[in-house]
Amino acid sequence: MAEAEKFMGSDNVEDILTKIENKSLKIESLIKPYKPIEAIKTALEGYPPQDERCKFANWIGVRKALMAIKDVEGILRSLNPQYYDILMKYVYRGLSTGDRTTCDQCLKIHEKLTEKAGFGCILRSLTDTVNTI
Amino acid sequence: MPFMTSPELLLNPVLICRNEAEKCLIETSINSLRISLKVKQADELENILAKKFLRFLSMRAEAFQVLRRKPVQGYDISFLITNYHCEELQKQKLIDFIVQFMEDIDKEISELKMSVSTRGRLVATEFLKQF
Repeated sequence: MAEAEKFMGSDNVEDILTKIENKSLKIESLIKPYKPIEAIKTALEGYPPQDERCKFANWIGVRKALMAIKDVEGILRSLNPQYYDILMKYVYRGLSTGDRTTCDQCLKIHEKLTEKAGFGCILRSLTDTVNTI
Repeated sequence: MPFMTSPELLLNPVLICRNEAEKCLIETSINSLRISLKVKQADELENILAKKFLRFLSMRAEAFQVLRRKPVQGYDISFLITNYHCEELQKQKLIDFIVQFMEDIDKEISELKMSVSTRGRLVATEFLKQF
């Protein structure tokens, strides 16, 4: 935890924002030719940023990837289980936006993800107050 | 409820929105949890009916035990479930109660709206008969 904080501290906010922008562009380029699986993997990778602006920029990219998913079951089957927890956190962020299309999509993903990952996943997203999305 | 004294005992609050009008806020801590609901209010009449109906329920919060007398700011009704409730009451039944509540609330308000319209129509018809 301390090493990660030190790592984040050495890049300043601008650097992180640039990195996130690049990631966003990469996600978009993966969504266009209908490769949602890679898009999601790119979106979920990387340590979630600490700064509020970075978190927001990161969330925009992840949201694009989430909205591009058509076959939720397929995506979850091919996704590495280590990403389930972080996906659940993003799903809850999506549910809090209130935007109808985002919420519909997030509810669909939430249902399938809970089936696959179980209630522990939900609980971990509730109790993890350190690595928030 | 350790809100003021120990922030480390609070978990991440979770906000679940179905759409722009309906949402549910769940705030947990280690010994209690607060569930706040905002119900769908499509027009002015539903707004008034929902407010009156939910105020009626909140005033009788003691009878419900898990209901809060005053809803959280920005929401229509709030439940407060403490560890004492979990000891006295069955957890699964509590969950069923809250889910049932959420399912029934929309139905109740629609029924109220329909009965108001019917009564209004009857009264207007009777009154206008004299002209």
